[in-house]
Amino acid sequence: MPAAPAEEGLERLVAARAEVRRAVELLVDASPKAVEACHGALDRAVSELAGFRSQCAAARGNAGARSMAVGLRTEVLRAARLFESLAAFYRGWERILGAMSAGYTASGDAAPVARQGRFYCQG
Amino acid sequence: MSNLIASMMSAAGSLGAYSQVLDVVQNNVANASTPGYAAQTEELNAMQFNPTEGLSGGVTAGQVVSSRDQYAEQAVQQQTTLMGQSQQDVSSLTAIQSLFDVTGTSGLDSALNNLFQSFSAWAQTPTSTVARQNVLTQAATVANTFQQTATGLQQVATDTAQQLNQTVTDVNHMSSQLAVYNQQIMNGDRNDAGLDAQINSTLQQLSQDGGITATQQSNGTYTVLLNGQTPLVIANQAYNLSLEPVPNSATSANPQGPAHLKVLAYDGTDITSQVTGGQLGSLLNTTNTVLPGLLGDQNQPGSLNTLAQQFASTVNNLLTQGYQTDGSDGSAAVAGVPLFSYDTTNPTNVAASLQVSSTVTPSQLAAIDLGPPEVSNGVALSLSKLADPTDSTGEIGGLSYTQYYANMAAKVGNLLSNATALQQTQQSAVAQAENVRQQVSGVSLDMEATVLVQFQQAYEASSKLITILDQLTNDTINMLSS
Repeated sequence: MPAAPAEEGLERLVAARAEVRRAVELLVDASPKAVEACHGALDRAVSELAGFRSQCAAARGNAGARSMAVGLRTEVLRAARLFESLAAFYRGWERILGAMSAGYTASGDAAPVARQGRFYCQG
Repeated sequence: MSNLIASMMSAAGSLGAYSQVLDVVQNNVANASTPGYAAQTEELNAMQFNPTEGLSGGVTAGQVVSSRDQYAEQAVQQQTTLMGQSQQDVSSLTAIQSLFDVTGTSGLDSALNNLFQSFSAWAQTPTSTVARQNVLTQAATVANTFQQTATGLQQVATDTAQQLNQTVTDVNHMSSQLAVYNQQIMNGDRNDAGLDAQINSTLQQLSQDGGITATQQSNGTYTVLLNGQTPLVIANQAYNLSLEPVPNSATSANPQGPAHLKVLAYDGTDITSQVTGGQLGSLLNTTNTVLPGLLGDQNQPGSLNTLAQQFASTVNNLLTQGYQTDGSDGSAAVAGVPLFSYDTTNPTNVAASLQVSSTVTPSQLAAIDLGPPEVSNGVALSLSKLADPTDSTGEIGGLSYTQYYANMAAKVGNLLSNATALQQTQQSAVAQAENVRQQVSGVSLDMEATVLVQFQQAYEASSKLITILDQLTNDTINMLSS
């Protein structure tokens, strides 16, 4: 028997939260491949949430749905925080690499990382 | 002949180099489960090859390079500091929140509501001895609950001060340990992988207590600063922190109020404002900001004392403006007496000292408002209206007493809720930083530059999705609420 519209909507909200949780796990892993894979999970979360919003009217006033949405927001904020901490790490690391590879600019900042004409192959 | 010797030397050098590589691998295996240990790598440096000058080429072992890059290590320490702070916040705020029951079944909220109900019952039967006795009983319960809440908060303050002392002791102990490790490095143990792991494990524990910056010097020793400014460890010397109360000031509003605590550096400099992170930062914030907001300090009475004082004085004012008898029998009208008494010399001791005056009897409760017009239950009615005041009598800053109390409890609840959410996120952030630490080798600039490009591309793509998700989620919550 097909799911009622409201139930189907909630399933999409649950799915969106699961995808964001998956993104959080990938961000904790923090390897470049995991961070790349994070994009797919977030993309699916957006798609599920957009799908839920189209059926949102049926769930209006539903305390359970609202609680689930608040939980989703907590997960999104956690993902955002983990993204920011990773970005802050790489920003600092890039400055160090820049100073190591190309020294400092006249204003005393670390130079951009010297990448021109260099290849790095990973097997 | 010289070429043969050179070749043999080259071979021997290479064997020595490979032997060191094996040592490093052995270290990695032996320390695989040691906390704070990161795999080490051995650099093999090519030697010049020029037989005519006797340069035989081959490889030699370079300096053993710990792949635990200092930068990644610092990132772990920073996240650990934030986690230590949020963990301590959760612990302290949980103890405070347990004293603020807003369910209406116990605590001050329930006691106030029961007293308001007894006022209302008394207003309906103003001459009833039972109703009057019930007012006295409920008033005593309110006073006891104020006392219990204040005592509970004072106990939290005492516990927090003890924890602060213990944390400062721990910081000093770990600083001394690090100074000993530095001495071992200065004695030539620089490449001891086990020592390296112990140092990093200690630094990580230390970072939970406070925001530290640890930098490795050219001689291999670690310099540790608190908040990047106050030295804790330099070479083989540890610099101890200490804790002491801020002296009372005779010019402050409440000279008898609870004193703040300050952290002093080794030279007696007050560094309290620098200590914002880790357990130390959290405990200081609880001691110097959160608890004074409730219990008061030398400059403020604290919200619990404000509530106790305003509530008791309003009730007392209404009762003393009323009359026990109206004098209609020819005798003189007898004025009412105050119900509550408290320490009027110390605004930070009102809640802890609040009590129902021991001499008050049910018959002394003044119900009559002489007016004109005279209302036989006028005072009792005014008291019952304190539950839901219609004017500024019975309000603090526009809030009724029960609303003011609920506001206090909500502030504590929100702080705890935020700290709990942050603690959960920080656990993930520490795990993330530890994973990053394992991934950053620092061996090849090219490899690191490639990783940077990979991350930048992934970040640019995903950060937009995070923004979209955040917006969509907020809109969804609003749609579901309406």
